[in-house]
Amino acid sequence: MSEHRPEYEELCAGYALGSLDAADRARLEAHLATGCAECEAALREFSAATVLLAASAPAAQPSAALRDRVMAAIGAEGARGAEATAAPRREPPAPARPARGAVVEMPRRSPWAIWAPVAAAAALAVTSVVAWIQSARLGAELAATRARLESLERSASADSAWAAVLGSPFARHALLEPTTAGDPRLRARASYDPGSQRAIVVFENLAAPADRDFELWVIRDGAPVSLGLVQPDDRGRAVLRLENVGISPTLSAFAVSLEPKGGSPRRDAPSGPVVMLGPLSG
Amino acid sequence: MSLQEQDIQCLQRAQAGDTRSLAELYDRYTPLLYPLALRILRSPADAEDAVQEAWIQVWKRAAAYDPKRGTVAAWLLTVVRTRALDRYRSLSSRARAEGKVEVDPVAATAEPSASATQGQLGARVREALATLAPQQRQVIEIAYFEGLSQSEIAARLQSPLGTVKSWTRQGLARLRELLPREEWA
Repeated sequence: MSEHRPEYEELCAGYALGSLDAADRARLEAHLATGCAECEAALREFSAATVLLAASAPAAQPSAALRDRVMAAIGAEGARGAEATAAPRREPPAPARPARGAVVEMPRRSPWAIWAPVAAAAALAVTSVVAWIQSARLGAELAATRARLESLERSASADSAWAAVLGSPFARHALLEPTTAGDPRLRARASYDPGSQRAIVVFENLAAPADRDFELWVIRDGAPVSLGLVQPDDRGRAVLRLENVGISPTLSAFAVSLEPKGGSPRRDAPSGPVVMLGPLSG
Repeated sequence: MSLQEQDIQCLQRAQAGDTRSLAELYDRYTPLLYPLALRILRSPADAEDAVQEAWIQVWKRAAAYDPKRGTVAAWLLTVVRTRALDRYRSLSSRARAEGKVEVDPVAATAEPSASATQGQLGARVREALATLAPQQRQVIEIAYFEGLSQSEIAARLQSPLGTVKSWTRQGLARLRELLPREEWA
């Protein structure tokens, strides 16, 4: 294996940007092929920064006609028959467009069997647009907890309007962590879509004393606004679907307080201790 | 299901001929892709053409996506950037042949328009870029938005190739530092 040298790390930056000259690219690729962990890590970091460059482009919308043109062009391509694909072409079931979160029957073969291997040099090992779109979801959360909460979210987004909250590229997320006043096992996660001003909040390990209720709050313009009581099932889980949560720039966090039965007497302030808190990403 | 899993499912269905799945991806990602094409080409008509070509490529060649190399979103960005740069190069050479003066794309950076939440991340990245040393910013912007190779950049900036390489590394590393993980979403 060719030894790691700082020079290679420098080449990784150019590689992530796609700006290496051919000789340098060949040299780095030969080195990467030996499995240099330092360079792989450097490449991931540089690729992350590169993906962010795309986000620096000023926001803009194409004309509505573009969508029609693209779909018409694709229809024409389809009529001529697309290029050879590993999977046989077949018409999907015609009726209703499947909901975003819905389970769709796919041919069950080895998961990636239909993806041809690719060696396009342009397809860099960019991993990090994940960050752009959904990294707040990941946050510091443990993978196992995340999987459970995501499964709850899925069940919460069975219809497409709510699935859109989770699928929106502009969605903001909050991972609610227990405060020192809260049971350390408390977990919750919120996804908010600025477009529809809807949010889905999922909870687990909620167990209120018999004479108390959990109440959910959003911090809007720096002040709490009640979003209602959280009533867990017998396994301590709860899913809230919320409408009219507020305009995106005014929202900064979600919080949960432990209240007397029926909730805080005021809609604009918890009366009990705040047991969970999570800042909204973005 | 994560967004990435949903995206992969859409691509698989598109590959099997389902135009609605492609429409779904179009709706989800065009708000991220079009601004990149516009930044590179600086003409809405050209940017729309590049985005259209990119989606047709995605439709015809969905099998070229390799999940091991990154997310669907990252792949779509790569496809759009490649199509936009191809178009930019052919337009530039035509403009040169016709004797038109080329606008310096870096100097002509448009002001950010306040639109939707995408703008929030965009504004943060632009702020981060503004804190880089000018040469560092210049080399990474020329590389990314104009598609010049490092030796071409060295020639344009009349700087040694080794210096361009180290500006590139320093610039990207600094950009990465300025945008800590929790701010990426």
